[in-house]
Amino acid sequence: MGYHQIRFEKDSEKAIRNESLQKALVNVTDRFRSQRNKASSEVPNWEELRNSVRERKKETIANLDKYLLQLEESVVIAGGKVHWAKDSDDACQIILGIAKEGQVKSVVKSKSMATEEIELNDSFESSGIKVVETDLGEYIIQLAGEHPSHIIAPAIHKTKDDISKLFSEKLKIPYYEEPEELTVVARERLRSEFLNADMGVSGANFAVAETGTIVIVENEGNARLTTTVPKIHVALVGIEKLIPKYEDLSLFLTVLARSATGQKSSTYVSFITGPKKQTDIDGPEEFHLVLLDNGRSKILASEETKESLYCIRCGACLNNCPVYRHVGGHSYGWAYSGPIGAIITPQLMGIDKAPELPFASSLCGACHDVCPVKIDFPKVLLELRKNVVKSKEKSSRVGGALLEKTGIKFWRFTVEHEYLYKLLNKLLHYLQTPWKQSNGKLKSLPYPFSRWTDERDFPSVAKKTFRERWKEIR
Amino acid sequence: MSNSREEILHTIRKGLKGVSSEENFRKRNFSSEALEIQATINKQRADLKAQFISELGNVNTKILEANDEDDIDKVILNLAKEKKLESFSIWETQYLKDLKLKKNLRDKGLKLITAKNKNRIADSNIGITEVDYAIADTGTLVLLANKYQPRSVSLLPPIHLAIIKEEKLVRDIKDLFIILKSKLEVGQEITNCMTFITGPSRTADIELNLTLGVHGPRELYVLVC
Repeated sequence: MGYHQIRFEKDSEKAIRNESLQKALVNVTDRFRSQRNKASSEVPNWEELRNSVRERKKETIANLDKYLLQLEESVVIAGGKVHWAKDSDDACQIILGIAKEGQVKSVVKSKSMATEEIELNDSFESSGIKVVETDLGEYIIQLAGEHPSHIIAPAIHKTKDDISKLFSEKLKIPYYEEPEELTVVARERLRSEFLNADMGVSGANFAVAETGTIVIVENEGNARLTTTVPKIHVALVGIEKLIPKYEDLSLFLTVLARSATGQKSSTYVSFITGPKKQTDIDGPEEFHLVLLDNGRSKILASEETKESLYCIRCGACLNNCPVYRHVGGHSYGWAYSGPIGAIITPQLMGIDKAPELPFASSLCGACHDVCPVKIDFPKVLLELRKNVVKSKEKSSRVGGALLEKTGIKFWRFTVEHEYLYKLLNKLLHYLQTPWKQSNGKLKSLPYPFSRWTDERDFPSVAKKTFRERWKEIR
Repeated sequence: MSNSREEILHTIRKGLKGVSSEENFRKRNFSSEALEIQATINKQRADLKAQFISELGNVNTKILEANDEDDIDKVILNLAKEKKLESFSIWETQYLKDLKLKKNLRDKGLKLITAKNKNRIADSNIGITEVDYAIADTGTLVLLANKYQPRSVSLLPPIHLAIIKEEKLVRDIKDLFIILKSKLEVGQEITNCMTFITGPSRTADIELNLTLGVHGPRELYVLVC
């Protein structure tokens, strides 16, 4: 069930026609949005906080090499092991290696976008290791053989009825209608998975360089179970998740839950520093931190786009994006969706693999307004658009880029020569007649203008230019 | 593996060339900051307690009340009767020992599940813990793991009951991290697992319906004394 190529235009068309998805998207984004607005307005110095968090991130990324080495040292002092993974394959091999050494037969996982990114579940399964997602939303998605559609509400595209049917079919149980009943079923099933698992795999929201602590924020308790019950704990963490100082956590945690779900605090936050101590009764005997690069270190070199690495994955940009609210998460084709997906997918995968994504935005800036680290999404998107056009020009394909360039040149020449502009205006006014509707709009123009009129009507060319009318009415 | 390490660090350093790497950390004296905070908190304790209790109500946490410390076991026994609890697990902290909870609950017929075998804690009907800190402005319990304070007691049983001494209250998360940092600075070892608990386990993954008790405890009781 790996990811296929990214086909934003095609997949978003499908999403827009899916009525139940449209309803679900409005529900979830409206709810999260209003909760986030309320929670952030209750903090008197919210804007100041956003500035401080951004400054912290900026400083961290500017010293990333030093902090990574410090983190490595701290984790080792705490009794953990550190592994460096340059890409997905590398990360999967490392984690499979740990599993092999520990004779692991079954794995429980808590929610992690990084493991989604490297498609870890596929690696486990093809090595004959059983892997179970334990976040309720992720469990539903795994049973359905799908991918998450929202960073923090992965199964939001599924209706209650879908889930009732899915549980009944896959778990061979009666059809339960109520979410409470379904939750009880999941709790019982997953509890026994936890108690029998040999290894727990988690992500992390933050990794603290000076103490070697990883921080996991959640509401269900499955991350606590994943990191407490099995004898081996592996945490896969993107190298940008680092924060330098222990006390910085108070800043970051204050903005994270409020931006994500509008809670003042998530139900559970776990701060894990190495494996259990010898005298402890519970907790894992082994702790492995796998640091994932997978394209992140390359982003650093671009002054214009490196702030993409400041993201703390709260999902607020998704909930506020007019595009995401219509096309949903799956249209973005990979682990990350919404505005953050539109900027990091092309950078992590390579711009050629996701050339549509930087254009999947109206540049309205709603994402920028709510982002707790103030990522300037419109600026980054424009820069990436530039790169897409450049890379298309390089390729021998004569496509939209050339057409657009020629069109703009022609337009420029016309507006610089008034007689030509007037002439063209008159000409077009008569030429458009065959396509003109009774309401004065143009309905279906020939290619390349059909690319506009396929979606909506085009206003017709007026008889007189603005200057001509101005002379009359002045 | 070490190749990846060098490769990643090399790419980062190349990317950062020419970037100002100035670290702008103000030198702070956390010990004195922590002392100041503690003094302020001590003056506001009654207010903090009221705020804490009201926040607990916002996050589906139930409040138990005891007239005095000798009364705590009776309160728990009442709860046990009401919920038909048969067994319990409990932290081995000094304060809980002083309260003689373990003995008193066993005497009244509740079965003690010891933490010797960690997974057996799952069989107990209620887990009883203390807290190391309590955050007033979010209604959060802060638990540190150690050999007397196993993590599973607040995690595996369907009900968690936390007994909180008033002096464990701090105003907010900022206070807490300054206090924690001041302890690290004087060489205290960091716990391998600190947990924040704000209300019982919850999910909204099915059509945004709030459901309690998906993985962790379904019910959270707090007794402030």
